[in-house]
Amino acid sequence: MAERENLDRIIAGCKSGDAGSFSQLVDMYAGRCYGYFYRLTGNRAVSDDLLSELFVKLVEKIGSFNSGSFEGWLFKVVSNIFHDYLRAKHRQSRLLEAQKGRLQSNVSEPKADSDAVDRLQLQLDKLDADTKEVIMLRYYSQASFREIARMRAEPIGTTLSKVHRGLKKLRELMED
Amino acid sequence: MKDQTNENLEKLFSEFLPGEDARQAAEDVQKGEQILREHPAPAPAGEFLAGINSKIASVLSAGKPKTRKLVTYRVAAVAAAVIITVAIGVKFFEKGPAETQTPVVVTLIQQAVWEGEDISADQAKLALLTDALEQIEGEILALRLGEDGGNGDGESVELEMELTDIGGDFWKG
Repeated sequence: MAERENLDRIIAGCKSGDAGSFSQLVDMYAGRCYGYFYRLTGNRAVSDDLLSELFVKLVEKIGSFNSGSFEGWLFKVVSNIFHDYLRAKHRQSRLLEAQKGRLQSNVSEPKADSDAVDRLQLQLDKLDADTKEVIMLRYYSQASFREIARMRAEPIGTTLSKVHRGLKKLRELMED
Repeated sequence: MKDQTNENLEKLFSEFLPGEDARQAAEDVQKGEQILREHPAPAPAGEFLAGINSKIASVLSAGKPKTRKLVTYRVAAVAAAVIITVAIGVKFFEKGPAETQTPVVVTLIQQAVWEGEDISADQAKLALLTDALEQIEGEILALRLGEDGGNGDGESVELEMELTDIGGDFWKG
């Protein structure tokens, strides 16, 4: 209860434009949001960019948070930022592909950090993108399955099934 | 990271699976999440977080810096809308050669994108946007010249999807 009151106080401070309150929000959530971005992109530089974008976005959007689970709201924003990144990456790939013949471009898509990738990251990459994403959303948002299903606008049975199958497969991969 | 959801997973799964299967599914999820806890992702660097805090402070002190950028995006979106209109015109209504239309559109894009005064703040996105618009321009030219093997309908759909995609990003701000 005290934790929730503390969070409410921090959010109220953020809404009033207090930089110190935002700093507390960064302390509380940067690690989890960064973990989410890193596990989905496998790239620290991209994760840095997305995390930075997230907190700047929060400055703009915090006023729209009214009630309910702050973490649910936060990870909806986090997830939207990741999807924007995917769309931009897809668009950039198509542009590069289309212009390959015309331009000698040195722009390349960000790749996973090859030397720093841990075993879990390698195995996660063997799961399909949507399954990996829902597992990460569940783990880093610490939201209930009902909240996750709401965030993803899908039936809870679908969410449960994806997380269950994905985690079961991940365990098998890790045990191989 | 601890599991803080305190959900009764077995009960939750039992809404969809028979008794023993529900118990097994709950166990699978718990064991899988245990693996995630045992392999934590890297944490962001302290200096990097300090940089984020500075950035937040500067955004807060700048008040509402987004207006000009939004105006730039909106003008660019209008340019994109003009392109699609011309594309449709070229595809469906053109009776003969109309060499004067496309150069007008090209000029409009460049003015719209580069007239803003705060471009450095979002240079990468604007560069990407410019590339996207240039590609669309190329596709329109290809349509006009019939370089795509007569697959005009497919190209029109592609153009529309692309503009919807780009437009969605603009209005999100």
